[in-house]
Amino acid sequence: MSLRSDNRRWGSVARFFHWITALAIIGNGIFGLLMDLAHGPMQKINWLALHKSIGLTVLALFLLRVLWRLIDRRPPDEPGPHWQQLAAHAVHGVLYVLIVAIPLSGWWFNSVSGKPLQWFKLFNLPSLAAKNENIADTVLAVHEYLFWFLVAVLVVHVGAALKHHVFDKDNVLRRMLPFGRPRSDL
Amino acid sequence: MKALLSALLTLTLALPVAAGAADYTVQPTASTLGFAGTFQGAGFNGTFGKWTAAISYDAAHLATSKFDVNVDLVSAKTGDKDRDTALPGADFFNIAKFPQAHFVTTGFRQVGAQVIADGNLTLHGVTKPVTLNVTFKPQGTGAVLDVAGTVKRLDFGVGGGDYADTSVIAADVKVIAHLQLAAK
Repeated sequence: MSLRSDNRRWGSVARFFHWITALAIIGNGIFGLLMDLAHGPMQKINWLALHKSIGLTVLALFLLRVLWRLIDRRPPDEPGPHWQQLAAHAVHGVLYVLIVAIPLSGWWFNSVSGKPLQWFKLFNLPSLAAKNENIADTVLAVHEYLFWFLVAVLVVHVGAALKHHVFDKDNVLRRMLPFGRPRSDL
Repeated sequence: MKALLSALLTLTLALPVAAGAADYTVQPTASTLGFAGTFQGAGFNGTFGKWTAAISYDAAHLATSKFDVNVDLVSAKTGDKDRDTALPGADFFNIAKFPQAHFVTTGFRQVGAQVIADGNLTLHGVTKPVTLNVTFKPQGTGAVLDVAGTVKRLDFGVGGGDYADTSVIAADVKVIAHLQLAAK
């Protein structure tokens, strides 16, 4: 169990960042879609506060993850067609952009709506923009469209990982699995 | 003679009282009545647009001084659409049932350099004592009066039920008034 990545496998820190972010994104995405099920305004206030806190956590984890990537050398690409390697890197790049853009667009929406922003009731964060309710609906639409774009990109990302795991039976997913071991026969 | 003496005595005793606190008229455009609360860790300010105050005050005659304030709660504005929609509702002020708040002093105390007004606040159908710090500065024939105090919203059942969670909406609400007074 190595903290750093080696030639065969992502290190435990990189795997932690990957899976905790995956869980938070999927959970918070579903949570965001269910907001209207809240019973009464106070529950909605509390749910929204939780949704915002999780989103800010995703943003913070991303910053730590990028810092770690500066220290940790990523494993070299698994053998495969060049176009697949390029496509994989492009998808990862888009995912990184969305991991930043979705929480930031939520923060922006919160700011133009003139609402406070508190992280798990512990401390407050400043507004990103002045209050402007005229553009709030548009900014919320940006937040939501970015999320649906993320869902589409995730279908490709997860689909490709499963294709490698189930059909190609290679190490592409295995080397990122939290507890799995890479196949040594490949 | 005896009657005259007693009449004189009564008059001299009554005079300082009659010449006690002076009555003032509030200059509405230069006066504000506001409040400050905390929601999700961030402070917000509100104002009441409609209120009246009968002010009778003299720092040298605190015993006869009196504040009597009526506030139209429907006039509360905090600059946030959601909050301003919620405030008049049944969970907060419940203005359908309790359209007004009323504060009347029961006495004044001098604590060091600070004058403190004790009084009763009636809000949301509950009457409880509230104290205010009083700063009174004579200005020409009129005066500038600043008062500040803290109201514990849950004492008055403002924001009960789900809204009683003070980790989201703080328990203390500051009340601040700045009154420009003219001699009556």
